[in-house]
Amino acid sequence: MNVIVTDYAAVTALGSSLEELWQGLLLGKTAIQPVQRFPSSHYRSNFAACIEGLSPSGKGSMTHDLLNRLASQVKDVPPDATLITATTKAGIDNLEKLKRGTPSDRNDILLSSIPESVSSTFGLKDVGFNVSAACASSSIAVARAAALIRHERVDAVLVCCIDLVTEFVFSGFSSLGALSASPAMPFDKNRSGLSLGEGAAFILLMSEMRAQREGRPILGRITGWGISGDAFHLTAPARDGCGLIRAIRKALGISQIGMEEINAVCAHGTGTIHNDSMELAAFHSIFGARKPSVYSVKGAIGHTLGAAGGIEVALGVRSLSEGLIPPTVGLTSPEEAAEGMVSSHLQEFGGDYLLTTNSGFGGVNSALILKRGISA
Amino acid sequence: MPEGQLPPITRKSVFDTPYQHFGRLDRFSKLGLASIAMALKDARHEACSELRDMAIIVSTTYGCLHTDMDYFDTVMPEAGKLASPALFSYTLPNSFLGEASCRFGLTGATFVINEWPSMGLSGLKTAMDGITFDEFENALVGFCDPGTPSGFENKPGMVPGSLFFVIDKAQNSEYPPYGTITLDGKNVILFNGKRIRDLAHLAKECVSVNA
Repeated sequence: MNVIVTDYAAVTALGSSLEELWQGLLLGKTAIQPVQRFPSSHYRSNFAACIEGLSPSGKGSMTHDLLNRLASQVKDVPPDATLITATTKAGIDNLEKLKRGTPSDRNDILLSSIPESVSSTFGLKDVGFNVSAACASSSIAVARAAALIRHERVDAVLVCCIDLVTEFVFSGFSSLGALSASPAMPFDKNRSGLSLGEGAAFILLMSEMRAQREGRPILGRITGWGISGDAFHLTAPARDGCGLIRAIRKALGISQIGMEEINAVCAHGTGTIHNDSMELAAFHSIFGARKPSVYSVKGAIGHTLGAAGGIEVALGVRSLSEGLIPPTVGLTSPEEAAEGMVSSHLQEFGGDYLLTTNSGFGGVNSALILKRGISA
Repeated sequence: MPEGQLPPITRKSVFDTPYQHFGRLDRFSKLGLASIAMALKDARHEACSELRDMAIIVSTTYGCLHTDMDYFDTVMPEAGKLASPALFSYTLPNSFLGEASCRFGLTGATFVINEWPSMGLSGLKTAMDGITFDEFENALVGFCDPGTPSGFENKPGMVPGSLFFVIDKAQNSEYPPYGTITLDGKNVILFNGKRIRDLAHLAKECVSVNA
């Protein structure tokens, strides 16, 4: 059974909708700015991409405000859809409040609070479950959703992903030396780390049969997925990209296409030295002498952690339908291995397939293959 | 299952050979890793020098929340100057899955499932699906919860502990399995034809096979 993307939405620091985000990306804008949310003078960086005006509601986490903003863009969600969410830290802002003696709802801190909130916000019968796998969380959630539809376990799945910029996470990445002192520069030879971001995305997947029966738009298709571990190191990626290579090969196998059919890659592209090198090693191993267009959105919206994969799937579907590859914001001088693949300019793109990849702590890697839908 | 006291988990109580990292792991990771090691040993899967495409899927309610609290205690005193990178590395609930991947050479999918009430059955179904859909040959699936953190609600039915199973697509002829798990037409998990309520129930049924 074919897996169709029938609806999507996103809220990021670059816009309160996917349309605003897309237009901002095409213009090469960045939302990475000095952080106002918490004091950052003791950290390696004071840059992040925070959503303007995002605020907690009483004792609640900022996740509620973010989910409400997301829900305001979406209508006609089938109440019988299966729910899979993705987050790495849920309402961890409430743990900060709790530790500082400010009243806060403890339940929001638990990762299981996200499916609970999403189910209630979107009026679903299913209480669902959350997937947590570091920065690959939401791409794994999409992979699970696609597998359930492909094998006819269910015919509609809502994937919703969310993560926040908090002092908890910011301080941690700073302590690991992973933050860039200036806005992130993915695949640049002068890159020095990542910039954090926050956001949420909504992706409604359906079987082709149900989508057609209900007259839903065929925005795009998920044709392949692969997940693989490095078995190398807890926080550092395997230098040769072996785990990511396995994940991409699995995705190509499920998709039943060859690498020559992939014309563009939405890379994880965090801007850290090791992540970007690892990804380029994997892409060279997979594509050989071919040089598909590779881009990263993290110089524009920051690294949104568990939400990254979901936002990138929504953008990848948009990219396929528009036939455009957004510029890699922050890139000024590509590293040698990226030359001819990445660009700081908007590019036209004529292929039918796009690969998205994510990698994270614990050595986890994911690859999704998206196919062009039917233009309206 | 009645709630008891978790025993201290030491390297020597779980591993026969030196394991440099073990002492540095947080409580959640030690608990989960110990349980994974025992499950692999029980399934005669622990001794393998080659990489294996085995998945690890774990369900948890509180996950690494104890470690989150310990970590943030290092952030507060000097406005973040003393934030501990060692503790931060374990503030993701999938960290110990990465540790297990490295230790045992497992290259399959690894992820955490959070649900409430957490009976671990979504994780088990996901693992069964992954095997049925030919995404991986076998999987470690289980739950891990080191207990309710101070100040948090003691969820009914949630006991501190960790329990993992090894599920394989094909039977290893040398070592017979405890039994067969299947899904019936209503998506209910059956073990040797009997309905399973949660992972603790599955463990009891496995043990009763050999009793």
